[in-house]
Amino acid sequence: MNLTDENLPESKIAPVNYSIYGIPGAILSYLVPGLGQILQGRIGKGLLFFFCVNGLFYYGMMLGQWSNVYLPRAKNLPSISLPFNFKIPNCIAYRMQYAGQFWIGISAWPAIYQNYEYDEESDPPLDPYLGKYQRTPPETELNLLQNRSDRSWDLGWVYTVIAGVLNIMVIYDAFMGPVVFIPEKPKAK
Amino acid sequence: MELAMPPIIAAGYYWHLPFLILVISLVYSATRHDDWKIISIEAYRWGVRMLSFLGMIGLFLYIITLLP
Repeated sequence: MNLTDENLPESKIAPVNYSIYGIPGAILSYLVPGLGQILQGRIGKGLLFFFCVNGLFYYGMMLGQWSNVYLPRAKNLPSISLPFNFKIPNCIAYRMQYAGQFWIGISAWPAIYQNYEYDEESDPPLDPYLGKYQRTPPETELNLLQNRSDRSWDLGWVYTVIAGVLNIMVIYDAFMGPVVFIPEKPKAK
Repeated sequence: MELAMPPIIAAGYYWHLPFLILVISLVYSATRHDDWKIISIEAYRWGVRMLSFLGMIGLFLYIITLLP
């Protein structure tokens, strides 16, 4: 069966209600993957997105010993400029993975809080609520994690980045509906 | 002649791959369609495509390890 717009059997095409899509759904799906779809009444798809995207993100974190989602201040490192003198903030320039992980939504926000609240180079105290969760690990710990023979730490951050990027498509689905729209056929007069 | 162990057995981290392929194919297909039957067909196809592509790379790397 060829799944192009023209060849889809008409009986299989669910009527598309365009009014449910929009910014509120997109924001909700950014905050929690699938939440926008659930509130739009597409509960099955919402639950699929919720479990798949969150599952992939936390699976990746688990592979990385819960230490691969963080945002360093990197204040002592030289700043990086792009063409046209466009400067990237050091926290992103030295941890580009977070630019992908960010799109998972609330699940990646503790890293922003830890970055704002604590300087990793001053041996900061544990946060009363989050502890060291999503805080930049010390250099020695990072070296240890990265030199593990099974490479699961690197694999873990790849999984978390893929989960974040997948959620961009989920956000789009909540904002505009499924990518393959089936245009309604004009009614015969 | 001593045969090298196939990479998929030698490196345990390959066993994390099926979950990744399953999630990517399901989520990608679900963002393109609303009908569950079409989603499952598309997800299956994408899963097979990704597995074949990665399998070919794995086979190529395995053959390289056999070269003297």
